[in-house]
Parts: sequence; structure tokens; C-alpha cells
Amino acid sequence: MRPGGLLLVQAATPMVAVFAGGLIASAIILAIHENPLRVFALMAAFNMQPSSVASILTSATPLIFAGLATAIGFRVNVFNIGVEGQYYVGAFAASLAAFGLRGVPAALHLTVIVAAAMLGGLLWVWVPAVLKRRRGAHEVITTIMMNYIAFNVVLYLLGLVRDRNLGSTARIRTPLFPPSAQMPRLTPLLNALGASIPSYSTLNWFLGIALALALVVWFWLRRSRFGYEVRAAALNAPAAEAAGINVAQIQFVMFLLSGAAAGLVGLSDLLGRTGYFDIDFPKGLGFLGISVALLARNDPLGVIPAALLFGYLDRGAEGIQAFASVPREVITILEAVIILAIVVAYEIMGRYVRALRKQEVA
Amino acid sequence: MASHDVEATAPVLLELQEITKRFPGVLANDRISLSVREGEIHALVGENGAGKTTLMNILYGLDQPDGGRVVWRGRAVVVRGPGTALRLGVGMVHQHFMLLPPFTVLENVILGAEPARAGVVALREARARVARLADQYGLDLDLDARVEALSVGEQQRVEILKALYRGAQLLILDEPTAVLVPQEVRELFRNLRRLRDQGRTIIFISHKLDEVLEIAGRITVLRRGRVIDTVEAPRAGPAMLAELMVGRPVLMNVSRSPAPPGAARLEVRGLSVEGAGGRLRVRDVSFSVRAGEIYAIAGVQGNGQTELVESIVGLRAAAAGRILVAGRDVTALSVAARRAAGLAHIPEDRHRLGLVLPMSARENLILGHHRRAAFTGGLLLDDRAVDRFAAARCREYDIRLAGRATPALALSGGNQQRLVVAREFAFTPIVLIAAQPTRGLDVGATEFVYRTLQRIKAQGLAVLLVSVDLEEVLALADRIAVLYNGRIAGEFRREDADAAALGLYMTGGGPPAEPAVP
Repeated sequence: MRPGGLLLVQAATPMVAVFAGGLIASAIILAIHENPLRVFALMAAFNMQPSSVASILTSATPLIFAGLATAIGFRVNVFNIGVEGQYYVGAFAASLAAFGLRGVPAALHLTVIVAAAMLGGLLWVWVPAVLKRRRGAHEVITTIMMNYIAFNVVLYLLGLVRDRNLGSTARIRTPLFPPSAQMPRLTPLLNALGASIPSYSTLNWFLGIALALALVVWFWLRRSRFGYEVRAAALNAPAAEAAGINVAQIQFVMFLLSGAAAGLVGLSDLLGRTGYFDIDFPKGLGFLGISVALLARNDPLGVIPAALLFGYLDRGAEGIQAFASVPREVITILEAVIILAIVVAYEIMGRYVRALRKQEVA
Repeated sequence: MASHDVEATAPVLLELQEITKRFPGVLANDRISLSVREGEIHALVGENGAGKTTLMNILYGLDQPDGGRVVWRGRAVVVRGPGTALRLGVGMVHQHFMLLPPFTVLENVILGAEPARAGVVALREARARVARLADQYGLDLDLDARVEALSVGEQQRVEILKALYRGAQLLILDEPTAVLVPQEVRELFRNLRRLRDQGRTIIFISHKLDEVLEIAGRITVLRRGRVIDTVEAPRAGPAMLAELMVGRPVLMNVSRSPAPPGAARLEVRGLSVEGAGGRLRVRDVSFSVRAGEIYAIAGVQGNGQTELVESIVGLRAAAAGRILVAGRDVTALSVAARRAAGLAHIPEDRHRLGLVLPMSARENLILGHHRRAAFTGGLLLDDRAVDRFAAARCREYDIRLAGRATPALALSGGNQQRLVVAREFAFTPIVLIAAQPTRGLDVGATEFVYRTLQRIKAQGLAVLLVSVDLEEVLALADRIAVLYNGRIAGEFRREDADAAALGLYMTGGGPPAEPAVP
């Protein structure tokens, strides 16, 4: 088989996994006495609506950042499980810059906030990255521990900076951000282009930033000198070392970049929807990012369709819950099954590809 | 030769008839016919990619043929898998051993075929059987020793014993001597002869022609998936076999041109290096390599060669001593800085250290050169410059690629080594470290490496050749040092060295020698 054929086999793997996930979800839907075809058809129809499309894009936005952050680490065999904590710290740092700074133009304010978010992520990844580099501490352990620390430290700090003018309500949140700290919506542009996105949609320009970032990372890893070193270091570290590539340094840099990208995960919600940081700020996006990166095979461009798929399923879950009285947990199961199927399918495809290659060599 | 007359009349044990195996784009076996008589040692020789391994995989049931028949004791059989092969009486000793290191010899031998009584392994019974077998065939082994504590040669004996224990009448040995030192090869050959004399049949796969000529009764030569000829060993010679294998006359002895003494380009002074676990593996080693000279480090594998090379190229820190390249102290420099200073390195394990196998051949060709100005346009790699460079290198070193994106792992062993050589000779290095540069290569590829080393030596490079192959050392080197237990046991000019004397130093004998002045 020619290299092109191999590539095709590899590209088909995620689709096989999604299909397998669909089959198992069908079995579950059958088990609760519903017609899976009807449920999936309903989900598809529901997701075609403009409001659903906007919702899918909105929930895909943080997942693209989270998937990128994870993939950047995984690309060089750095298993950063701490995107979760890093984005939480990043979002809190961003909110400090958001309500703390007033009377500056929006462009400058947003730039400062984005920088603060990345610095927050960087700060939180710095500890495990240095521990790995200097002491060889395994990043899976350290980053998971840092996640726990992140939640509690942020909660404590939130208590210090919380808005005390909320009277008797029990809400604990930062002061509201000024208008200069709000990310403009994408809705006007899309509607001018002929879409009909409802006005309540919070779809904002962080989607554009996420797409651009994915493209930049992809191009940079593919074409730059550093990207070449990254690939060599990931595929055969000893050979890269023998060629004068400092593998530990590359892993360190990519680990830090992973954390900096993680800092951006919460911004779409923070600056595009809530306008403040509170104790209910969404959690779990970092862990979803692992699934996204897995489905994307750590390819920066592949992260985009993978994140969209998760956004799609999420929105579909709302639809079938509301209109087919199928509990949304079915979709959660579907997501989990897809991830399991990916792992299995990659393993099988990997064996197949290896076998083909062995034959080529023989 | 009486034994050969007996073999000639012995019944045919195995017959392969018109075996054909096609892989995408490759005809690995093209109507191969071969008959093996009971009680003979039948060698199968051929270059890498000639189809030896595929043929044996078919015989052992790991691959199914697209055409042809396997006839065992006069009966056509279908070998569905290793299980079928074992039941027929075909045993295989792989190049990489399939043993459990923490288990004892006895446990490894009986593993998977343990005699049991009421679900309990009948160890005493097993031990008696295994001991009887070992004794019968002169396989000298301590049954209670842990396999991890055994030498490579002993582990190979365990594999042979394992096959015999499972009732193998026909033993297939895949490149059995590739991992052995000369003494172990002699021991293996003694074992094989004894097996043959007691009626077992052996297929011996190799591309070391002198060994094949020594041990085999008949030799079948494969080239590009076809049987070229089957010859009686006494009527064959190395030159004839090499020509059959490669398809053209091969220059077995490279003519060595004397080296005019040049300036010292690589100087190693009082170097000590720690190996894994902090033990000193290189102790106070000093030598220098001059421009236009091949300086060889000979010695049995595991006497500090790996650590010495890794330390010189910068992969392992020196515990003491200094390393100078063209007069410049590089001891504290990184691998990259040493390469920039003119050091090139052909590593002993090209799969681990020499190539990034999943990457394309062209990407592998710039590995280590990728930071040179020739390939960079700003932060990006200049793809066109890389393509031009790769095309020129492939032309000059005759590396045949299927396409631009062909990964290095799809290349034959010989082509992979050409790729490493082509890369390391680029950008005119000053010093070349060649560690086991012909390991695993066939005759044609070895000849290519020898000629290339001679050529760059003539161009004034300083070459440090580290090799466990004494013949290679004697064929190429101008000066020879023997590394024993991390020290230089002796240093000789080529004119003063012979295999017997070097062998003595390699095993720790011989008086302390004076440094040899070039």
C-alpha cells in the first residue's frame, strides 16, 4: 500500500470510532424503548436550527482551546492533565485584569486580559514543568495535584476580591467587568452574511481566535525548524538527542505553551457571556479537552472538527431531552463510548498500519 | 567427506515447492523451491530483502503463501501458525530471544508446555527431561540460573533447548551469530554439529559467508525473492557466494591506502566515563586520531565502546578527562555544538540513534543539519532547499526512494545505512565517529561503507572506527587500539597487528603494549 493509502486508513479511524459509538448508543436507546433512528433524526433536525448552530459553535470555542492546549503537550509526550487547573487559574487572572482595569480602550483592555489569562495558565504549568525538568517528577501526577490546588486557591482568592455590594444575596462573584472587557459578539457579522442567529446567542470573536490559533499552531509545527525538532523529539527522542536536539528543553517549552494555551479556555465564557467570575464558573472543560485531543490524534487542525463534534452532541442532548424525552445522559454515554471506541480503533488501526509497513519492509 | 555422502542419500525432510509471496509492491518470494534433507545443516544466504525471513515466516506459519506447497516428510501440509509448525516438528530460534529474564533456564524451557499433574507443574519430571536433552546435545547450561544473568550465547542455547523440548526435528536459526562474540560462535557451531550428528536438521540463515561455509553442508542463495542456486559447501568459496548473492563480482578485500601522517584532529585525553548505574565503564583512555587516518577501537562488545562513543559525541558526560576536536576543547559542549565544530557520527544502533523511522527519508537526511543556514528561511525550514539537498544526497549515495514522503522505516537496512552515511558526510565534517558501521548490513552494503570510509580518509578526514568485527578492523584501520574492560589494553600500527595477537588482548591477555606512533 502506498503512503497515501496508509494516510487514508489513519484518517478514517476517528470516523470508525464515532460510528461504533453511535451503534452502542443505539443499543442503549433501544433498551429504554425508543427508536434510535427517530432519536438521531430528531437530534439532526434540532441541530440544524440557527439557534442550535450558534450554540454548537459557542460550546465548541473553549473546547478548541482546551483541545489545542492538551494536544500541544501530548505532541511531545508531555501528558499535561492539568489543563483543567491551568484554565481555571487563567480565567481568574483574566477576571482580575478585567474588573481591575477601567477607562482603557477595549482593544487594549482585551489584550491585557488575554495576556493575563495566558500568564495565569503559564504560572500554573510552571511548577509541574520545572519539577519535570529538574527532578523528573511525572507530569501526570503533578498536574492532577495542581488541579486540586487551583480550585481551592482560586476560591480563597475569590473570597478576597468578591463584590461586597451585593447586599444580602449569597452570590460570591467578582465585581462586574466594564464594557471594555467584553468580547464583541459574532452575531452581527454572521447575520449580515445571511445567517439568522438569535440575539441571545453568546457566540463571540473568541471562536475566530480559536480557529486562528489552531491554524497557526498547525503551520508552525509543520513548517518551522522548531516544529521539525518537535516531531523528531516525539517520534524518536534518542535519535533527536544524537542529532543535537535538546529533547528535555523542547518538552519544557511545549509544556509551558500548553499551559499558556490552557489559560485561554475560559475566556469565551468569561468575556462573552457572564461578565464576571463566580464560584459556578464552568469546570471540566480541561478534561473534555483531553477527549478532543484524543479524537483529533493531537493534530491542531483536527482539534476543530473534534471540538465541533462534542459541541454538536452537547446541543443534541438538550434537544432529545426536551423533545424525545430521552435523558441527556444517553448522549453523555455516547460521548464516553466514542472515546473508548477511539482508543480501541486507534490500537487496531495502529496494528494494521504496522503490519502493512512491516510487509513493505520485508 | 563421508558425512556429506551420507547426507546426499538421506531422505528429504522438507520440501518447499514454488512458494510465492506477494506484498504490496514487492514480490518477496518468487516461486521458491528448496529441499532440505534429514540431518543436514542447510544454509540460506542472501542480502537484506532477498526474501529469507519471509520464506521462514511462511514455513513457521507466521505468513501464508500466495502460491506453492510446503511438503513435510512427503506429505503436503498447511502451516496455519506456529502451533501447527511446532506440532510438525519445526522449531525457530529468533534473532531476538523470546525469554522471560527473571525466570530460570528450566522455567523458560518448559514455559507453555509444562508437564502437570493435577494442575501442579511436575517440576522434577520436567527437570529430568530437560537435563537429559541438554546432556544429549551437549548444551552446557545451569538449569537453575536466571536467564537475566546469562550471556547472550547462553540465552541462545536456552532458545535451542526450548525448541528441542517441544520436539523440534527441524531447527530454524535466524542470523544466530549476529549477536555472538567469536568464542560463542565456536561454541554454537559445536552444538549445531552435535545436533546434526544426532539426526536433527537445521536451517541456518545468515549473510556471513565464512561462517556459512564453515558450518553448512549445502547453501541456498536467494536474491530478490528467487533461488539463484543451491551449492554444496565444499565446492563453494566466499567470492563465488558473494557474487551469487549480489549478482555481480564483489571486491571482498578493500585495498588500504597508507595514511600520510597528518595533524591530530580528535584527541582524547585521560577520559573516564560512567555507564548506567554509575559504574566506570571507560577508564583513563587516551588516544588521538590524525587527519587522513582510520583509527580503530577493537574489542569484544560491552567493554566500554558504547560509553566511549556516547561521551565523544556528547550524549554522555565525561567523569574525567578532555576531548578535543581540531585542537578545540569540546568536553563541556552540547551535542549540537560538537556537531557544529565538525564532529559527525554514524551510531551503532541506527534505528535507535541514527534515524527517526516514521519520518520521511528527506527529513532524516537533514536531521542534525536542520539548523544550518542552508535550510532556514527565517523561523521556517526552507522546503525547497531541503528537497534539493535530499535529491542530491540520494543521487550521490544511490539511495532509492519510492516517493518524496517515503518514511525511513520503509527502506531496506542497506538503504537506511546509506542514508545515515550520506547525512553524516554532508557539510564536510572534520572527524567521523563510525560505530559498528556495517552491523546488520549485507555484502553489497558493507562494501559500499568500506569504500566510502576509504574515500573520506583520502580526503583528509580523521575517522574513529569502533567495531567488534576483527576482520573489519584489520581491513580498514591504520592504527588499532584494543579496548578491554574500559581501558586501552594495547595499541598497534596495522603493520604490527594480527588477528591472533589482537584476540589475546581482547580477552584480557597480552603484556601492556607501548603506544603506537603512526
